[in-house]
Amino acid sequence: MTFYELAMGMKVTLRHLLHYRPITLQYPHEKRLLPENYRGMLALLRYDDGTEKCVGCDLCEAVCPSRVIRVISAEVPNEPIKRYAKEYDMDMTRCLFCGLCVQACPVDALGMTREYEWAVYNKRNLHLNKEQLLAIGDRSFPNREKRLEFQHPNVAFFNLPFPGQPLKESQTLT
Amino acid sequence: MSEHTTTGMVTVTIDDVTASVPKGTLVIEAARQLGVMIPHFCYHPKLAPDANCRMCLVEIEKMPRLQTSCSTQVTEGMVVRSSVPTVKQARKSVLDFILANHPLDCPVCDQGGRCDLQDFSHEYTASGTKFVELKRVFQKEYFSPVIETQMNRCVQCLRCVRYCDEVMDVRALAPAGRGTLTKIKSFGVHELDCEFCGGCVQICPVGAITSRLSMYEFRPWMLKRTESTCGYCGDGCQMTFQAKDNDLIEVNSTLGVGRNNGDLCSRGYFGYHANVHEDRLQSPMIRCDGELVEVPWEEALAVVAEKLTAIKSANGADAIGGLIASRCTNEDLYLFQKFMRVVIGTNQLDSSARYGHMNGIHALQRVQGTHRWSMSFDDLLSANAILTVGTNLTETNPITALKVKEAVKRRGAELITVEALEPAIGTISNIALLSTHHLPLAPDQFASGTIGLLKAVIQENLVDAELVAHAKDYIDAIKKQVDAISWTDIEARTGLTAEIFQDSAKVFTRAERAVILVGQGVLRSQGGYGMTLNLMDLLVLTGKLNRIGCGLAPLAEENNDQGSVEMGAVSELLPGGKDCRSREAQQSLEAAWGCSLPSGEEGTLMDMLGKAKRGILKAMIIVGENPIGSLPPDSGIEDAIGKLEFLVCQELFLTDTAKRADVIFPACSYAEKDGTFTSTEGHTQAVRKAIEPLGESRPDWEILSALSVMMDHPLEYESVKAIGKEMRDLMPGTRTLGPSPLPPRPCLDTLTQYLQEGYQDTLATRYCLPGMKATHTFVLNVGQSIFHSGKFSTRAKGLIQIQSQGVLSMHPEDAERLGLACGDGVCLENQLGQVKTTVKLSDRIPCGVLFFPEHFDQDIQRLFAVSVDNDTHVPYFKCAHVEVSKAS
Repeated sequence: MTFYELAMGMKVTLRHLLHYRPITLQYPHEKRLLPENYRGMLALLRYDDGTEKCVGCDLCEAVCPSRVIRVISAEVPNEPIKRYAKEYDMDMTRCLFCGLCVQACPVDALGMTREYEWAVYNKRNLHLNKEQLLAIGDRSFPNREKRLEFQHPNVAFFNLPFPGQPLKESQTLT
Repeated sequence: MSEHTTTGMVTVTIDDVTASVPKGTLVIEAARQLGVMIPHFCYHPKLAPDANCRMCLVEIEKMPRLQTSCSTQVTEGMVVRSSVPTVKQARKSVLDFILANHPLDCPVCDQGGRCDLQDFSHEYTASGTKFVELKRVFQKEYFSPVIETQMNRCVQCLRCVRYCDEVMDVRALAPAGRGTLTKIKSFGVHELDCEFCGGCVQICPVGAITSRLSMYEFRPWMLKRTESTCGYCGDGCQMTFQAKDNDLIEVNSTLGVGRNNGDLCSRGYFGYHANVHEDRLQSPMIRCDGELVEVPWEEALAVVAEKLTAIKSANGADAIGGLIASRCTNEDLYLFQKFMRVVIGTNQLDSSARYGHMNGIHALQRVQGTHRWSMSFDDLLSANAILTVGTNLTETNPITALKVKEAVKRRGAELITVEALEPAIGTISNIALLSTHHLPLAPDQFASGTIGLLKAVIQENLVDAELVAHAKDYIDAIKKQVDAISWTDIEARTGLTAEIFQDSAKVFTRAERAVILVGQGVLRSQGGYGMTLNLMDLLVLTGKLNRIGCGLAPLAEENNDQGSVEMGAVSELLPGGKDCRSREAQQSLEAAWGCSLPSGEEGTLMDMLGKAKRGILKAMIIVGENPIGSLPPDSGIEDAIGKLEFLVCQELFLTDTAKRADVIFPACSYAEKDGTFTSTEGHTQAVRKAIEPLGESRPDWEILSALSVMMDHPLEYESVKAIGKEMRDLMPGTRTLGPSPLPPRPCLDTLTQYLQEGYQDTLATRYCLPGMKATHTFVLNVGQSIFHSGKFSTRAKGLIQIQSQGVLSMHPEDAERLGLACGDGVCLENQLGQVKTTVKLSDRIPCGVLFFPEHFDQDIQRLFAVSVDNDTHVPYFKCAHVEVSKAS
């Protein structure tokens, strides 16, 4: 009985000994294949015409469990009532990569890239500002969405008036 | 609802909870009292029911259909159900219709997070609207520099329109269009021009009307709320500072809190930025070789302590004087006067209450022996007759004006207005339109108007019978005086006939509860003390002085004028409003403070300036006050300040006076410190720290306390509360927050003394008509604008956007006569000088009168001469006679 168990145990050892498959990757020469839903570095995205998607609504800041994000929103200069993030900072040293900010974003302005090679010598380099986050988005998401007002059949969906937008039938009469 | 009778209770069952509520209560209010929240948009406790939003539908037994709970009154045995499926379905349908057009832009909407529609949608329509059609889109229209509208978000509840009409009486907003395409517009094609009270912003249940000042700067959950008291006028409104990252973001007020009960004026709602202006002084400065240089606190305090000690030992304590602004908290004021009296050892101290409020205080003290109103703010609402004299109420004390409007509009009080106002419809509300008896007078003729009323009382035999019985001499003396003045003389000065005075006097006498509001037009103009005494005589003669709910109410211009009097920050009064010369008061104070009080003579503001000019007063400590900016050059203020050997200023900004200082200490604004303010009715209310002090600025009391330590006479306190405790021990009833104490009753001994002989000495000077102006001249009056308060508010960016400069207001008829159009340059001239300014036409002011807001132009001050009241030492400089010509 004992010998049988020993043999069975050793069988696994022997099999691994004979069929050697290395677990350790020779990083950076070898890299792992990332799963489909990998949550890597965060990025800010743009629409296809190059405008920032972010409307500065602060919901990511509100939802972030580790206070990574700081948003200062303002009115877009020369575009009355349009809101944007004047400043958008992320302190990536604290980020958990939980992805709640991406879920919270009402305009899909945040994305999680597949970048993970973010080791730095100085922690300050992980305080990213809006330009840096947009640059990450630019290189990670080359396929951009249309602007919101062109996505939805109902143009007032997000209260974004634009020149030449169709009016309701009853409005054109008045 | 105020009109409802409260006789009798009815039993009502709402959602299986039974309770009795007063008859006439609305179902929605009864439900709230029982803890059942009925969703609503158009209902608001301040407004009459409109029942247009249909959100508050409930099921009521024995009624055929669902009923709107905001317009249904409870009846005996009524059974209401608000959470049955039919009701929920009805609410869902209402929301479906609203959401058919309401954009889902909550993430960028400033209301997001505190929006009624958002909350109700979460509760009733988890899946949004059924409608898939295009939403209505209104073209964006520019509304106003401080108020933003987004009509796409409007749910057409019309709360803003009704508030503007019913509460503010401004009528600036109106709905235009029909159905879902209704939008809120201002009248006319121009941008919104109104009182800018911010009421529409606060009352909007969604984000259709928002404040442009704080737009997109915040989300509601980021804000730190601090309940505090407004620091602009004496009304003492309770408001909430909303701060984020040590910056003030916005101001709100809460329904049911304070005397303002949720209302604010433009100064309160849009004026908060003055506290965090970039020009704020942030570190102490001393003058080195003629230049002000920033130094550490220790160095600045040491310089001041050393210099003041040196001056005191060389020239005596009376060579040092002190002046404090009534905008400081009670604790600051108390410590200031204690510092001056104990550490310096002088009675030469004064506060800005001297500019006018002291007239009212002295009149009250002389006749009824109190230093406060003998009526409360609520008595305004229950008054049957209100007499306002020289108040310009809407502009100077907007919340008091709201009470008067409510008393007149909802409770049917009769309003007699003796004002420099014409009943013209304009962009801001006008109480002359509401008055039953309007006596339009030039600002220099309020005395004539008052005498006219008194003459009418005597002549029409309206004198109180009881008074006739025991104060015959007093009545005869007044009768003799008014008989000497003919109606023709009064008519020549006022342009009003005897009949209107007689009618007004009858209305006033007939009223069960009658209130007199006395404004800056009286208190700050020539003979203000006499006029206030005459108005007290009016109360005495009609037998109203000692009646509950009646009284004379001098209105304070600065927020803590009343506090500075009660704290003893004026030379002739000790804390508690006690006479400085009373040995008894001195002894009790000496016992409490454990040191002797100074025996030197008192020195009011004008005395101090006189002594400074003569070189007797060597040094001054000026806390928050800017006499160079306030007093006209005729007072010799620049000369007086210039002759001082040493000037210390505690200031927020580098004002004209602070520029001359040898040492400047940076002080905190009221948003950065704890303390209390006393409103004009004598109600002490808490001021709380909303943000940390800017830079190195410190509260005024801390600075004075530190100075006292360095001058070897420590007045040390652990915190503001420790000062408060000392104040409370000294003056029982002071600084007790919470519901206001009952107003004091007139002191009968003082009244008897007044009726026997007290009235005599000033009788001849009080009962004489002021001189008339030459026919071709105008009466130029400087005063408060509704959008500003002193010079402080001109640092608030919101208020500057509303009104950025002072222009001369003139009646269109005068302008036509002189060939002037709106915006033309005019030249004002009198014996003191010549000033150029621009003119604006306003049919609000009477013909022959010019009005200039006092907040802006220093230059116009040159036209004003200063005269000082013999009794109260109040400097008068608000009125001048000028000739007007078109500038070339």
